Amino acid sequence: MTTNPRRNLANRCNALKSTGPRSVSGKRASSQNSRKHGLNSAPDFESSLEYRALVELIAEEGLSAFACADIAAGLLNYRRVMDAYYDTYTSPEPVDEFLRDVNVRASNPIFRELLSPSGSEPQDVREMAAFFASMQRQERRKGGPVSRRTADSHKLIRYQRNGIARLSRAVRRG
Amino acid sequence: MLYNVHFGIYVDVAMPVEDKSKSLLPFLSSPKLLPDESEAEFQSGLQSLLSELDNPSPLSGALVSQLNECLWWIKRHTVDKELLLHEAMARILSKGGIYTETYDNRKVSDALENYLDGSAGKDEAKWIDEILAESKLTLPDLRIRAFKDASRHIKMVDDLIHRQHQTIRHLQRSIDSIDYKSRLIKRMDLELAALESKQSVKGVLSLDDKSS
Repeated sequence: MTTNPRRNLANRCNALKSTGPRSVSGKRASSQNSRKHGLNSAPDFESSLEYRALVELIAEEGLSAFACADIAAGLLNYRRVMDAYYDTYTSPEPVDEFLRDVNVRASNPIFRELLSPSGSEPQDVREMAAFFASMQRQERRKGGPVSRRTADSHKLIRYQRNGIARLSRAVRRG
Repeated sequence: MLYNVHFGIYVDVAMPVEDKSKSLLPFLSSPKLLPDESEAEFQSGLQSLLSELDNPSPLSGALVSQLNECLWWIKRHTVDKELLLHEAMARILSKGGIYTETYDNRKVSDALENYLDGSAGKDEAKWIDEILAESKLTLPDLRIRAFKDASRHIKMVDDLIHRQHQTIRHLQRSIDSIDYKSRLIKRMDLELAALESKQSVKGVLSLDDKSS
């Protein structure tokens, strides 16, 4: 872990020059970077053991096969949403303390040195400082860990609404 | 036959019905708790809800366990509201005064927590008093400003709590419908049995008439 602020700032400036992954495995890994909870992908409950076990158990309530399948899928779908909700709640996006606390204005000499070691180019330095300042504003707006987990969990409300509506509908129809 | 159902708990599908209602419960009720939460408290809540059902079927048991989880989430989110306020207060303090660049958010947060609990040491209390004075704030002012700052997130927590209430309503309706159906089936069974017994009595009587 880098603790030197100067080194940390240099690493971040260099990272901005990156053109992304080149290898197939790197591209495959980075294609999953924006994956948050996986609730938008279509689930395949029918082939799972849990589903079959649930269907058999529910069938003993005297419901039709169709109703049992519907209820089991609804229940598993609801559990999937609540598990994702728990995961989101327990692992919010970490606070970038360096970015939050760095004094962007005082870092101008470092930007100048990193961008043009031979001589300063005020325009580039100003742009870099402005870019870091905007990233810092975004980081600070997100708040602390509790604010982050609240905002992240809030995004899953619609999945919960749909999940419970599906389950409830299946049970009442059955 | 054993199935590993969802949370790594095995359910024996070939066991009798009355045992299954018990065995399905761990599948959906095994809680995912935070490190500082008590499983015993969670389970006792679940048991008290289950005791309100006459003879819980596997499905109604499963729905009740989901309902218990909702109540647990409401508890968590209620605590979050206080935490959000605390977080905002610490943020305001760490930005305040002449110490802007030297104060660590986490340090201020810990000191403030002790200060509000009344468990702060002399140095900590003095430190917080100093920052408050530098920021020209009193504790109630700080709380009001923090509430204003955190209002967006507090509203989000309220939405999350409201969602859990709506979910509970859905689950209650589902449990009611299962209960109603099972009572209806029982009643129809009883009526059918009564009709059959009536018919068999009639059959016996008619046989007696013929023989006499």
